[in-house]
Amino acid sequence: MHSPVEQFTIKVLYSLSLFGYDISFTNSSLFMVLAVLISAGFLLFAMRPASIIPGKIQCLAEMLYEFVANILDSNVGKEGKPYFPFIFTLFLFILFTNLLGLIPYSYTVTSQIVVTFAMAFTIFVGVTLIGLFKHGLHFFSFFVPEGAPKILLPLIILIEVISYLIRPISLSVRLFANMLAGHTMLKVFAGLAVMMTGAGGLLFISSPLPLLVIVALTGLELLVAMLQAYVFTILTCMYLNDALHLH
Amino acid sequence: MDKNQIMRKYFYINVVLIASSYCARSALAASDKSSDTGGLPQLDISTWPTQLFWLIITFSVGYFLVSTFVIPSISTVIERRSNKLSSDLNNAKKAQEDAKNAFSSYQSSLEDARSQAANTLAKATEEAKLDTAKREAAISKKLAANSKKAEEKISKIREETLSSLNELATDISQKIITDLTPIKVQKSVVKKYVSAQSRFQN
Repeated sequence: MHSPVEQFTIKVLYSLSLFGYDISFTNSSLFMVLAVLISAGFLLFAMRPASIIPGKIQCLAEMLYEFVANILDSNVGKEGKPYFPFIFTLFLFILFTNLLGLIPYSYTVTSQIVVTFAMAFTIFVGVTLIGLFKHGLHFFSFFVPEGAPKILLPLIILIEVISYLIRPISLSVRLFANMLAGHTMLKVFAGLAVMMTGAGGLLFISSPLPLLVIVALTGLELLVAMLQAYVFTILTCMYLNDALHLH
Repeated sequence: MDKNQIMRKYFYINVVLIASSYCARSALAASDKSSDTGGLPQLDISTWPTQLFWLIITFSVGYFLVSTFVIPSISTVIERRSNKLSSDLNNAKKAQEDAKNAFSSYQSSLEDARSQAANTLAKATEEAKLDTAKREAAISKKLAANSKKAEEKISKIREETLSSLNELATDISQKIITDLTPIKVQKSVVKKYVSAQSRFQN
């Protein structure tokens, strides 16, 4: 019997190293590549007819596009337009790695804290730089809420700075923990089902019950996979909006 | 906010899920002697460089593919559609305006024709009235002349008849007198009497 977290183990498929760093092509790398190729390939295939009256697949592709475009537009507005390719890529990357991870025997790239943290931290640094370039030193007025009592100001600024600095952590842990918890749950119930079949007797008879739970959980995980991609994207847009408009 | 509520809800769900999964895991681990994992694989730092490296590579490739191929292919179609829609709408609006203009010009020409017809009718009525009056006047004049002439003629005839009657009466009276009486009477005397008598009668 394997541990329910063994599914997250990185397995080397092809050994590589660069400047002494291990950059082997692993199962995680494989699913990153697949996510990119499948997302871009699907959208390009869907848009191949490029007709004014869309078919079913083209409609789906356009819906994805307009979904993300609407998130960006409603949260950031016109100024967010130059960042649309990045936001769209981010959404597609997370959505497809999450969804691919739900296929049995596949690997969930976003269940690795290092991956989600790298994305969240890059976004954090990028957004902060955008804010600094756009507003200069005025950017730091972001940490001073308007109309706050003067006496409380030091405390409020401290809280604001901490809540700002904690953004990459909350953003990355949210996605990572969702993926980790969901997949672990699935494995736990799968392990339970296997154990019950081995135990015999009444347990053997009732062993389909955990399987039913797995079916329900798979549905939930499908929802979580899409919802977390949406949440990650919308939060990125909110942070971008904060940097561009300062409150 | 709605989003915040959803997020908070999910946070609690996550906490519960993680907690329950860890409970289950430790319960399983207790019965699982063959397990060789020493904690979460996510915390194995030796796997981080490769993940970061491939994340950067694949995300960059994805960004390139999405920004150069995917987005233009979708946005051109959307733009073309909105152009087509707006041009169709414009055409429809134009056609509607044309129809409206045509209708109003038709209406105004109809109005013109109506007023012209009314004018013509009024003029014709006036003319006809004038003409009738003129003719009436002419006819009544003629009639008056005719009746005067006729009256004159009648009175002349009457006078003639009266005078001839007087003659006849005179002749008859003279004859009666000469025949019935021995008196020889002068014609002029009888005439005088007859004419006096007849004038009296008249």
